[in-house]
Amino acid sequence: MRVVDVHDDGTAVCEGGVEVMTDLVAPVAPGDTLLVHAGTALQRVG
Amino acid sequence: MKFVDEFRDAELGRVLASEIVATVDANRHYKVMEVCGGHTHTIYKYGVTDLLPENVELVHGPGCPVCVIPMGRVDDGIAVALQPEVIFTCFGDMMRVPGGNGTLTEAKARGADVRMVYSPLDALRLAKHNPDRQVVFFAIGFETTAPSTALTLKRAKAEGVANFSCFCNHVTIVPPLRALLESPDLRLDGFIGPGHVSTVVGARPFEFIPADYGKPIVVSGFEPLDLLQSVHMVLRQLAEGRCEVENQYRRVVPYDGNEAALAVLAEVFELRPHFEWRGLGFISHSGLKLSPAYAGFDAELRFDVPGIRVADPKACQCGEVLKGVIKPWECKVFGTACTPERPIGTCMVSSEGACAAYYNYGRYARERAAV
Repeated sequence: MRVVDVHDDGTAVCEGGVEVMTDLVAPVAPGDTLLVHAGTALQRVG
Repeated sequence: MKFVDEFRDAELGRVLASEIVATVDANRHYKVMEVCGGHTHTIYKYGVTDLLPENVELVHGPGCPVCVIPMGRVDDGIAVALQPEVIFTCFGDMMRVPGGNGTLTEAKARGADVRMVYSPLDALRLAKHNPDRQVVFFAIGFETTAPSTALTLKRAKAEGVANFSCFCNHVTIVPPLRALLESPDLRLDGFIGPGHVSTVVGARPFEFIPADYGKPIVVSGFEPLDLLQSVHMVLRQLAEGRCEVENQYRRVVPYDGNEAALAVLAEVFELRPHFEWRGLGFISHSGLKLSPAYAGFDAELRFDVPGIRVADPKACQCGEVLKGVIKPWECKVFGTACTPERPIGTCMVSSEGACAAYYNYGRYARERAAV
């Protein structure tokens, strides 16, 4: 999933409006691509 | 789409298929297990087996998280869900998994407040919006899903969300693989390792497979070319007399996994002495429960969970499918009494289940062959 926005608490908003916890790959920024499972980013892709 | 289109290229697929043909010994039969249900889904959806020589057989393993949940744990979940103060939350697939006492969908029809969520964080939000109710999350899955549950529990603890709890059914991948390798009724030549579990645990935990059992394993991605390349890598190891852990999915899987994920798992969970797996029975140190620091969020301590044990229906052969002993179509009830619309066994419920994947995609190839 591609990040489009990041909230102050580190939660990323990805394309389609999906909110994703990013604690395991932080920090993330808009444009990053993440492998997401059950609402949590497990790895960066690429 | 980047990371997708280039791994679905038909011409590259044909090149890989021809390399596989050139690698195998025509006089030998190869049996390779894909551990992960996501791989099974891709194999049938894209017809990967159609590109393999007849003497290369792919066998489906126990890596579908929904499929391995025993019926008794579903009944335990239903017992909690039927308590009037409870909002019981779970992933969509779990709604239709049959226990001995029906499904969660049927419990919902009987009045239980059962709600589908996409993530444990959704369940936590429900708890915050419903402070007068008890919100329980039915946690299932391997090391891929467990970090999401762990992070949610950390957040619940930090925010003091006291009406949230977790009915923990998380499992770990290494113990069932060891159990399969010790099983006398299954001869395997190698493994396609689980890609998404490995994003968390890395490839290193699978080193026991070549070290202790002399079998190769290749951690694989989930696109059709990933799988073809991984099959080729396993076969090449066999042809060269090697057995080691190789990582085909390096674009996502670090060899040592995700350190932050492993740390949060270690903080929030601890191993159960044993856990029951559908079709595989009890396996030591294969299930997770909440650690003492998070015991306040443990639904098994907060509610009266009956601890039901239910034998699988006699007609259902999910256990043999999960162990790779039989193929889905060899089950007595496959496609007749057991279909995705009315599943008897868990393997027919989840899209990652071997029976559902085969029912949805693979059976057409067999029907064409029969004609």
